[in-house]
Amino acid sequence: MRLLAAALALWGGMAAAHGTEVHSDTSGAPEGRVAAADLPKAVTPLPWDLGGPFALVDHTGAARTEAEPQGRMQLLFFGYATCPGICSAALPLMAEMAEGLSERGVEVVPVMVTIDPKLDTVDTMGPALAEYSPRIVGLTGTEEALQVAYDAYRVEFEHLFDDPEHGPIYSHGAHIYLLSGAGEVLTLLPPVLPAEQAVAIVSRYAGEG
Amino acid sequence: MRYLIAAMALALPTSGFAAGERISVTGEIIDTWCYYSGVMGGPDAVVGTAHHTCALWCSAGGIPVGLLGDDGQVYMVLKIEGDDGSASGDTQLSLASHQVTADGMLYERDGLKYIVVEQVVSEGITNLSHLDYDVVPPFAVPKPKN
Repeated sequence: MRLLAAALALWGGMAAAHGTEVHSDTSGAPEGRVAAADLPKAVTPLPWDLGGPFALVDHTGAARTEAEPQGRMQLLFFGYATCPGICSAALPLMAEMAEGLSERGVEVVPVMVTIDPKLDTVDTMGPALAEYSPRIVGLTGTEEALQVAYDAYRVEFEHLFDDPEHGPIYSHGAHIYLLSGAGEVLTLLPPVLPAEQAVAIVSRYAGEG
Repeated sequence: MRYLIAAMALALPTSGFAAGERISVTGEIIDTWCYYSGVMGGPDAVVGTAHHTCALWCSAGGIPVGLLGDDGQVYMVLKIEGDDGSASGDTQLSLASHQVTADGMLYERDGLKYIVVEQVVSEGITNLSHLDYDVVPPFAVPKPKN
């Protein structure tokens, strides 16, 4: 059932339901979104460890760890550049968040760690991610180096099948993690939030609201 | 600003269940993408059996599932019973658009409610159809040809 449903989802469902045409009409979205100043100050600790050091390579070939070189906060996501499923929702959201935050004077770097280093190489990641936004930094590396990052974030994924158009299709997790400039996990963000709500959350961690 | 971030990071210890709150929630396992984005219509249009197939698609595609409680709150599901993920696991798929009563631990962060479901106490199919909600989404209605 899992494979069948996933195949249906990634082959046709996500493309149809989450394409750019459909994204444009959000008139049915619930109202009453939260502004930064309205967010509760208290946060409940997560029930498991998240985050940790890793050493990978970015899409320009430069070495990159969990720390952002300029000390900016980061939005971290695990996926692959040609993913037609959740990545096609999460990566545009991360790009929109980065732009929205930048307008508020908060610089945040969207980062995607690949789950398929054979597909996402230094040569291929940049152009593929630039289709979402030139702001997104792609990280790849050896399988061993990537496994360190997967373990740190409890990332699980499964190769489902090869699609003639999109190539390898994976089932994989979907949360976006907000990291400090030093690479500490500050919180997690569901990739389904309206951009303005996600911006409000990050803004509070940046000291606004 | 740096001090605030550091303080908040320290406020996020990441081990132990002690800070969570044990709760029991009755509601529907929903497709959070369609619920929050509104792409398929209002909240009433993206629940129930009428949305079952789309809920399967979204969950399998990686969209975290949620539990829309009878209290109107959306609880973002971090895991359900034996399935560690927030989406696409066999349990998440088999419960899509079902009414459940779930026992678990609540974690509140950033104005959002997260739940780790330890046990689904009861579950059943929400028997609503497109006869109740018309065609969802509206753009699925074929345009008449002249």
